[in-house]
Order: sequence, then structure tokens, then C-alpha cells
Amino acid sequence: MSDTRSKNESIKEKSRLLRGSIAEGLAHVETGAIDEDDTQLLKFHGSYMQDDRDVRGERAKKKLEKAFSFMIRLRLAGGNLTPEQWLKLDDIAGTYANGTLRLTTRATFQYHGVIKSNLKRTMQAINAACIDTIAACGDVNRNVMSAAHPYLSKAHKSAEELAKKISDHLLPRTGAYHEIWLDGEQVVTSEGKSQPESEPIYGTHYLPRKFKTVVAVPPDNDVDIFAHCLGFIAIVSKGDVVGWNVTVGGGMGMTHGETDTFPRTADLMGFCTPEQAVDVAEKVVTVQRDWGNREVRKNARLKYTIETHGVDAFRAEVEKRLGYKLGAPRPFKFERTGDRIGWAQGHDKKWHLTLYVENGRVKDTSSRKLRTALREIAATGGVDFVVTSNQNLVIANVAAKQKAKIEAVLAGHGVEIATSSAMRRNAMACVALPTCGLALAESERYLPSLITKFEDILDAAGLRDDEIIVRMTGCPNGCARPYLAEIGFVGRAPGLYNLYLGAAFDGTRLNKLYAQDVDEARILKLLEPLLKRYAKERHDGERFGDFVIRAGVIKATTAGNTFHADLALAAE
Amino acid sequence: MANPTLPKNAPFGPEDIDFLNKLVGRSTPMQRSWLSGFLAGLDAAQGLGGVQAAAAPVAAAKPRVPMTILYGSESGNAEALAFKAKKVASKFSVDAKVVDMADADLAQIAKVKNLAVYISTWGEGDPPQRAVDFYKALMADDAPRFDGVRYAVLALGDTAYVNFCETGRRIDARLEALGGIRVVDRIELDLDYQKGAQAWTDGMLAKFQPADGGTATVVHVDFKASAAEGDDLEEPVYTSENPCEAEVSALVNLNGTGSTRETYHVEFAFDAPEFTYEPGAAIGVLPENDPALAADLAAAVGLGTDAGLVAKLARQFDITTLSRGTVDAFAKLTGRKDVAALLEGDALARFSADRQLVDLFETYRETLTAEQLLKLLRPLPGRLYSVASSLKAHPGEAHLLVGAVRWASHGRQRKGVASTFLGERRKSGDKVRIYVKPNRHFGLPANGDTPIIMIGAGTGVAPYRGFIEDRVETGAKGQSWLFFGERNFTNDFLYQLEWQDHLASGALTRIDVAFSRDQPEKIYVQHRLWERRDEIRGWIADGAHLYVCGDEKGMAKDVDGTLARILADGGDDAAGLAKLKDLTKSGRYQRDVY
Ligand code: SRM
Ligand SMILES: Cc1cc2nc3c(=O)[nH]c(=O)nc-3n(C[C@H](O)[C@H](O)[C@H](O)COP(=O)(O)OP(=O)(O)OC[C@H]3O[C@@H](n4cnc5c(N)ncnc54)[C@H](O)[C@@H]3O)c2cc1C
Ligand SMILES: Cc1cc2nc3c(=O)[nH]c(=O)nc-3n(C[C@H](O)[C@H](O)[C@H](O)COP(=O)(O)O)c2cc1C
Ligand code: SF4
Repeated sequence: MSDTRSKNESIKEKSRLLRGSIAEGLAHVETGAIDEDDTQLLKFHGSYMQDDRDVRGERAKKKLEKAFSFMIRLRLAGGNLTPEQWLKLDDIAGTYANGTLRLTTRATFQYHGVIKSNLKRTMQAINAACIDTIAACGDVNRNVMSAAHPYLSKAHKSAEELAKKISDHLLPRTGAYHEIWLDGEQVVTSEGKSQPESEPIYGTHYLPRKFKTVVAVPPDNDVDIFAHCLGFIAIVSKGDVVGWNVTVGGGMGMTHGETDTFPRTADLMGFCTPEQAVDVAEKVVTVQRDWGNREVRKNARLKYTIETHGVDAFRAEVEKRLGYKLGAPRPFKFERTGDRIGWAQGHDKKWHLTLYVENGRVKDTSSRKLRTALREIAATGGVDFVVTSNQNLVIANVAAKQKAKIEAVLAGHGVEIATSSAMRRNAMACVALPTCGLALAESERYLPSLITKFEDILDAAGLRDDEIIVRMTGCPNGCARPYLAEIGFVGRAPGLYNLYLGAAFDGTRLNKLYAQDVDEARILKLLEPLLKRYAKERHDGERFGDFVIRAGVIKATTAGNTFHADLALAAE
Repeated sequence: MANPTLPKNAPFGPEDIDFLNKLVGRSTPMQRSWLSGFLAGLDAAQGLGGVQAAAAPVAAAKPRVPMTILYGSESGNAEALAFKAKKVASKFSVDAKVVDMADADLAQIAKVKNLAVYISTWGEGDPPQRAVDFYKALMADDAPRFDGVRYAVLALGDTAYVNFCETGRRIDARLEALGGIRVVDRIELDLDYQKGAQAWTDGMLAKFQPADGGTATVVHVDFKASAAEGDDLEEPVYTSENPCEAEVSALVNLNGTGSTRETYHVEFAFDAPEFTYEPGAAIGVLPENDPALAADLAAAVGLGTDAGLVAKLARQFDITTLSRGTVDAFAKLTGRKDVAALLEGDALARFSADRQLVDLFETYRETLTAEQLLKLLRPLPGRLYSVASSLKAHPGEAHLLVGAVRWASHGRQRKGVASTFLGERRKSGDKVRIYVKPNRHFGLPANGDTPIIMIGAGTGVAPYRGFIEDRVETGAKGQSWLFFGERNFTNDFLYQLEWQDHLASGALTRIDVAFSRDQPEKIYVQHRLWERRDEIRGWIADGAHLYVCGDEKGMAKDVDGTLARILADGGDDAAGLAKLKDLTKSGRYQRDVY
């Protein structure tokens, strides 16, 4: 009988626990690429094969293959780093990558432009910084994100600890990673002990699709908890976490023109005690392992499993495997998504600076030497670094007397802490061109200039300091969580975007398509009147995303499966 | 030659005459010269001196003198001249044989009566690679005496180099010091050597020509030398004097955007059946100067408005090379002390290190007439490029791989004449004058089953493209292994897609690459060679031929050293070097470096 499973299933099956022929592929010096099937396996090791799309056109003519290189994503559960680690990672960016560090929307780093002949030594350099990359991508539980400021309160600390525990517990157990990249050496990170050749949790086929877990501490929803497969919401009493609300079935990715694919906000599944949390995570993963769709990959995410079976049936199965029932969700309240840019003081009186990093790209430009500035700060030591889930960076645990010095270093390199407008501070764009193979339009390289155009409008309307969440992606995969943005742009073709409006500022409601295939001129034409109206007609405290719904500009999206429904597109 | 017949009145019986006719008829020139030498020698040995007039050979017209024409050559110029000289020699009743210094035995050479030396200079005043051993032996304290040896030296060189014709000079002086008798003064020729060489050669042979009535002398017989005569050099139809008008049919910079390199793949198409070449040969290109530079040069001597002159300068003259000769002439012409001062000590070397002719005129302003200016200049010489294609694979085409030469100095952007002429000032469809430069010392093994190891960096990879294409066309089964080096993998992997195809089809067996700037430490081809030393020894044991092509200073020297170390196989370097020399002598290690 014919194999109805998606191609990736047989690749995983044949891979000898993620080995495939990666090692052999690295030895082929005549090409910068590796075998097609191996590129799927390489993701589990934290790396993607890419090519520089800016130069695709010229290569064949020059008798050169595509300009292949590799993106490497770090596994950085909780997202924090010591200054020593920062320096090591910065070195790697200069020595093996394209001279930049890319903070991601899931609180870790990416390197771009590492060529094949340097891949192994780069992996080794990363591991020498006591960080690894295993399971940063692939059909497994990926990097676990937690609320940004681990030092802000005890609850934040617990969130970070849970993130680490889950990440380590759900790590693949194959020895392939150490074998291929570290010549069998042990990684120095937690759980580095020698690993048995079997996958007790995942099995030989791992998960049907990527799986994402986050931990949030209200009132901040900086991790965008409803965008992820599995979420834990801290329930705090007298400063201590007494347990976690559990959410399941969130996700962003969809495909243009395929309405059976859609972004989905997660459901509340129940409540668990601190001791139960890791166990719950494991069981949710195993149910998705067994119930998830392994035939149609575009419907393989947990969000579709929940959509098919319903959250009740899913909870029942999880509880069956747990051997105990989950509690009823406890009350909680989110106030906002995004990061609070600027200084904040922790319970221990230490200061934490959340620094806005445009699109997460840590680099030096002629006028703005962010990479150098951060290097200097790391070199002086005495601070920690935390990557946020919104491409920003926290310089944490700063002593009061250090504050001035850090501000001076930043200013000295042309880095202002809170930049221009509140809209820009809250804006995110995915990587897209030139590295992303799936990009249909520009994103990271374009959004900043578009925001500049908005800023004129904002100034005119007196909205410069109003936080309005704008997010852009180069394709519908939703890497910058555009469907949870009050104003979302999703690439359709070079220069053309779909415009989405009406998501909730606190990340609980998706937006909806407002206009299709619009270019910059039309984008400004459509949004200028809306922003002006908002400035005039809003109730106090009313958010732009709520306003456009009240004003009847767009219908509210109440659930993922109605995302494509009741559209009222803007008139041409 | 027409079937030889002995005259009826020859002093032999009819059947002997018959028999001799058969024998002589099928004999090669070498056999005949051996035979004559043998017979003459035989008589001489048996002291049968005075032969009766009656028995005197009818054919014996004028007496003849033997001459050894000894050459040292890298790119084949001196070699070609040597063989040309041999051809004309007989007109002067001179029985010449040609000997390559690479095969010459100094002791034997020291014994000859008449010696003509054709020698070029390479590197920075060095002998050609294959002549180095002979040259060292000649210069050594224990070199044999040359007492009574009558000799003459023709030196080839390039006035662009400080040590113009250095090797020729030294050999000339050394022969004299060892007791040799200089019969004709040494001549030193620049790149436009053809006419001068011909005139000198005629004059030289005339001087060696025997006075009438002299007695026949024993022809010294040397098999190797005679063998060399066997495969006489074929002068190609298209030469720098008689170039072929080819059309640029493709022109692309192979380096990816963002590369620090600029290397052009140039395809020439010609409708000329006689334009033939073998892989390993070089193609000569007759370039034109950058018109802007020609204008600057003319302006510098107050002739900027003479458009006709500027055009002429651009097309016909070497307007970049700042040679001693030019400076000397300029000093005399202008009578300027400060210019003359440049000729003292190493002043010129320092001045010209990063300067060109235009700097001389701009530094020492003088107005000249067009004639005065042109007198200071030499004709614009052609440039050689290893052919990067196989004629079998691309009938009517020749492909080159040209690295653009650019540098900046004294506020001026400098452009290599020929490389930027092709890369920057030509486009598809333009015409370019090219010619062929065969290379008897760099080419595929006759036997297609012989394994080959090809080592090249940068444009040094060019001939190997031709090698592999040729082996594909001839269906050669021999294994092949390419070592390629450049700066960056992503943008500088010259012909990457073609190598990938050749690997897939098996036409290329293996490849190793060294990209120096992709990682913190520098990695060059010699490092890859060393990593693979065991396998390389294996290949050599299996009879592999080794090739090195590309930059002399930048690569070839280090590759030599590494190969020697590999061959030494743990033993001392001397042993390795000796093995490498043997490979060179047996033609199994060939270099094409520049
Ligand atoms: C770097 C990052 C965007 C950024 O600007 O920060 C990113 C970049 C890429 N994402 Fe993403 N995703 C990133 C967060 C997300 C998010 C946001 C989140 O998880 O909070 C989403 C939406 C949530 C979700 O998963 O539904 C997201 C949904 C996708 C999808 C669609 C998945 C789906 O279910 O449809 C793809 C495509 C796929 O998986 O087939 C994808 C694939 C990719 C790839 C690897 C393209 C590829 O598969 O070849 C992109 C690499 C581009 C490059 O050159 O770096 N990425 N990706 C984020 C890295 C996260 C991390 O550190 O792990
Ligand atoms: C047998 C043979 C084969 C060859 N094969 C190839 C080949 O396949 N591909 C290839 O690209 N070349 C090859 N070459 C070299 C080629 O012939 C030319 O020498 C080269 O292209 C430069 O010529 P040009 O006219 O562009 O530069 P030119 O105008 O001749 O200028 C070159 C001269 O400029 C000066 N110069 C260069 N750089 C600097 C600097 N930084 N500072 C100061 N002075 C400088 C030097 O004096 C140098 O000799 C080969 C040479 C030989 C002899
Ligand atoms: C790399 C290189 C180095 C040279 N060095 C010198 C030199 O130092 N002095 C000189 O007079 N000629 C030098 N020449 C010029 C050659 O001697 C000249 O081209 C000569 O015609 C070569 O003759 P051949 O083909 O017999 O070797 C050099 C040529 C090249 C390509
Ligand atoms: S959203 Fe699309 S374009 Fe942007 S990074 Fe993700 S996959 Fe690439």
C-alpha cells in the first residue's frame, strides 16, 4: 500500500535518529549545499540551509551554484546570557557569520551567512560558550520562551526556571548532535550527560510538526502566549507562583488562499501545580505526537489537532496519560503585549534596561554602533543579558551606580534607548529577504522606512507616543506574529502586502484582513484617515485595535476558524 | 626528402649500391648523421688519414662544422629561436644540433667546439625553471673548463624588468671566464625580439662558417640531441607577427558580487582552421591601452591635442612600462640632470617600483614632439594566457581566464593593459588579435589512462578546464584530481558548476579546495596537498603526472616545497627534492607559472 504520510515522516524514519547523511554532506567540498533530505534533518540540529536571494539571478551565468549559507538558531531557554557568553557569541558573529547577531521573536539568537565549511567549527564555538542549538528548529519542542525580566520578581524567576526545565526535559535524546558537531564530546550545558540511543518521549518519528512552548507572567503578555502550541500562565499569590494555567493550540502560520489554514489563538485547558507543569508539558507533547496529522503537513500543528478533536477531548486524553485531572483555570489578567522599553527596577533593587533593537538586528552602522556598544558593556561585565520575545534586549542586573555609565556607552555609539515613536518601539518585522527561502516580499529591510512614513501621520494626529502594535512579515507564515498586531502586514509579492486590522493590544484577539495586495502608497492612503479618526474619536484608554472594530471598520475575529470569515474589504 | 640514390659512379658494386640505396632510403636524418659520423670516426680512429682523391665522396662539397645550439627557455621563445637557427645553419654549412639545458650534460657541452646559447631570463633575473640545474652547475666552482670552446650568446628578456637579460649576461661572462672564446658579441633582445634574433643568428652562423677547403670534421653524435631534432618544432601559423582576428563571443566576470576578485572568462571565436592549439598551450593577446591613459601621457609632454597620436599610442605602443632604456633616452634627449640621476644606483628601481611611464613625464615636465615621444617607446607587446578550453570540445573557439590587474599608486588608478583591455574595454562581438603559443612542456600525458594531479590557484586553474574537456572528448579513462585555491568559497570558486558536472560524470575523479579567507587561519593549496600526502604518494606510485599552474611567487614555490616534503616521505628534504627533479626530468612534473 502506498505511503500516505508526508515526505518528512519517511525522512525522519530513515534518519537513524536525525543523522541522515549530514556528516557525509559536510565532506563534499565542491558544493556549499547539503543533500535535500538532510536539510530537513539539519533543522533539528538548529540550522537551516539558505541562499542569498539578492544574487540568485547572476550565479548560473558566473558558473557558480547558488550562494548557499546556513542560518544557525541557538537554544536559549529563558533567553538569558552572561557577559562572557555575549562576548563569545559576538566573536562568532564576526568570525563565521555575516557580522550581525539577530535577536528573534522567540527570544534567542540567529546567525546568518555561515558557509558549510565553517558550520562545524561554528557549532563548536557556540558550544564552547556553553550554549547549544539542538532542537532550536525541527519537529520537536523548540526553544521555550518565558517572560522577559527573570529578575523583576520571584514569579519571573520561576517562569524562567520552568522554561529551562521543560526545554531540557523535552530535548531529543539522540547522540547525533554530539556525534556530528562535537566529535562525540559532551556539551557543557545542563543535561549534558551522555545520551541513550532512543527517544523515550518522541520516538523515531518525533513530532508531526514544530512545537512551541512559552511561559507568561501577567499582566505582561510579552510572549504572546496565545500564539503558541503550549503555554503556561503564572498564577501568583503573595509573590509566589502557586501554579500555572495551561493553554493549548495557538499558532500563526497559514497559507495564502487556503482557508483550511489559519492563525489560531490558544484555548485555556486548565490549571496545574508547579510540580505538575513539566509532566503536563510532556503529556501534551505525547498526545500531539500520537494525534497530530502526519499526512497533511500544513495541518500538522497542534492548533489543528485541537481544532479537529476539540479541547475537551484533548484535555481528557492528557489527563488520562497524566493519571490525574487538571484544575479549573484560575483568573488572570493581561494588560499588554510587547516589551516595556526603558529602565525598570527589580525586587532586589537592581535595574534592568529593556533596549529597543530595530528588528532584532544587532549590528554596526556608520551612525549607530549597537554591536560595538553592547560588546563594550559586556566587556565591563557586572550585568546580564536577556533576549525578549519581541526581538529586544534587556541589559539586566545593573547596579544603580552603573546606570549612567551604560547610558553613556550607548549614547557614545549613537544608540538611543527609547527611539522616536511608540509605534516604532512596538514594531516587529521578520527576517524575510535576502536569507529566508519562503519570503514573498521584503520585511526587515522595509518596515523601518514604512514606519518613518507613518510617523509623519502620527505627528500630525498627535499619536507619536501612543503604543500601536505594527508587525510585518514577508509571507503568511507569521514569524513576527502579524495576526496579533493591531496593524499587520503580510507579504504577497514584491512590494505588495495584505493589510490586517483589529487585533487586541493584550494579545487575546486575532486581527482580520482589511485590504489585499496593497503597495506603500495605498497603505498610507488607507491608514492615514483611520489613524486621524482614532486620534479624534477614541474613548480614553481605547486601543487602536479595539477602536477599528467599534468604529465598524472591521469585524472582530473571535476564533481562528473565523479568521477568514465575514470580511469587509476596504473599497478600492 | 626525395628518395636518395648513390651516383652510378660511386665506388661500390651494383648490388652494394642497390643495397645502400635501400638503406639510405629508409634511414632517418638521425641515422644518417650517426652513420656519417661513425664512418668518419672509424677512419680517423684507424689513422687512415689521407684519402685518395679518386675515392673522395662525390657528395663531399664544402667542409662542414658541427655546432651545438644550447637553449634555456620557459615559455618557448628561446626554444623556438634555437630550432629556427638549426634550420638555417645548414645554409652556412653548419651541422647544428639543438640541446635543451634541461637535458644537457655540462661535461659534454664543455667538450664541444662550437656553441651557440639561446637563453631567456625569468623571475627576478633567474634562469628558466628547467635550466636552473644546468645554470647552477655552470656557475659552480667545480665547473669544467671551456678552454677553446667558441661560443656566442643570445639573451631574451623584457626591458620592463630591472634585471634585463640577466641570465644571458651571466652565462656569457661565465663562459669567457672558463676559457671560452666569444666569437660574436652577445645580443640582448626585448619582447619584440624576432627580427633582431634572425639578423643576429645569420651573422653568428656566418662567423662560425668554415673557411673553404677545411677538412671534414667528426660529427659528434648525441642521441638525446638528435632525438630532439627528430620532433622538430612546428612554428604555429598564427604568431604575434601574424595574429588571428578573433571575435569575443562571451565575456563574463566569474566572481560573484561582493568578491574581492575580478576574473574574466573570455571566449574567442575564429573562422580559421589553422588556428589550432593543445590543452596546456597559451594564447597570446595583442591588447590596446586605455585611451584615457594614452591621452594623459600625450598631455604630459604637451601633445594632448594630437588625437591621431593619442590613438596611435593607445593601439601600438607600450605606454606603461618604465624601463631603464626609456629613462636613459629621455635623460639624453632632455639633457636633464635630475632624470639622469635616476639612472644612478637603485634610484630607478625605487622610482619605478609603483610608477609608470606617465609618472616620469608628469614628474619631469618636458614638451616633446611626436617623433621624439615615439622614439622613446617600444611596441606594445602581447600578453600570454593559458588556454582554458579544448579545441575538441569547442571547435573554432579558445577560452581564457583573465584576472584583472588593478592597483592604485600616487593618486592614480592603475590598470593592467591586457587584462582590463579584455575585461573592461571589450564586449561581446568585438574583435581581438590573438595568436598561439604552444607549450611542449605543459600538457596532458600521451596515454589517456595516466592519472593526473592538477594544482592551481586563481587563474592557475585555467589549463585544467582544457585538460578535463579534452579527456572527455578523447574518452580518456585516467583518474584526475584537482587542487584549487582562491580567496572565498562563495564568490571565487572559478568554474564551480563545471567542476561539479565533471565530478558527477566521473570526468574529474576528485577535488580539494583551499579558500584562504573563509576562516581565521589562512588555508592554501599546499596545505591541502599536505593533508592528502599519503594518497598523493599513492597516485604518484601509480604513475600520476603532476601539474602546477598559476602565480610563481604566490603559490608555485610553496607547492614545490610541499611536494618535495611529500616525496621525501619522512626522509630529508634533499631526497624529496631529488625525487621531484626526477619527476621533472621524466616530464611527470610540469609547471606553467607566471
Ligand atoms: C527568526 C524568526 C523571525 C524573526 O524575525 O525573529 C523566524 C524565521 C523563520 N521562520 Fe518562523 N521565525 C521565527 C518565529 C516564528 C513565529 C513566532 C513565534 O513562534 O512566536 C512563527 C508563528 C507562530 C507559529 O509557529 O505558528 C513562525 C512561523 C513559521 C512558519 C509557519 C509555521 C506554520 O505552522 O505554518 C514557518 C514555515 C514552516 O514551518 O514551514 C517558519 C519558518 C521560518 C524560517 C526558518 C524559514 C524557513 O523555514 O526556511 C525563517 C528563517 C528566516 C531567516 O533567514 O532567518 N516560521 N516563526 C523567528 C525565530 C524564532 C525562534 O527563535 O525560534
Ligand atoms: C605563460 C603564461 C601564462 C599566463 N596565463 C595567464 C592566465 O591564464 N590568466 C591570467 O590572468 N594571466 C596569465 N598570465 C599573466 C598575463 O600574461 C599578464 O601578465 C597579466 O594578465 C597582466 O597583464 P596586463 O597587461 O593586464 O598587466 P600589465 O599592464 O602588464 O601590468 C602588469 C605589471 O604591472 C605591475 N603591477 C601589477 N600590480 C602592481 C602593484 N600592486 N604595484 C605595483 N606594480 C604592479 C607589475 O610590474 C606587473 O608586471 C600568464 C603569463 C604567462 C607568461
Ligand atoms: C614572470 C616573468 C618574469 C620575467 N622576468 C624577467 C626578468 O627578470 N628579466 C628579463 O629580462 N626578462 C624577464 N621576463 C621576460 C622573458 O624573459 C621574456 O618573455 C622571454 O621572451 C621569455 O623567453 P622564453 O619563452 O624562452 O622563456 C620575464 C617574463 C615573465 C613572464
Ligand atoms: S514570515 Fe515568512 S518571510 Fe518572514 S521569516 Fe517567516 S518564513 Fe520568512
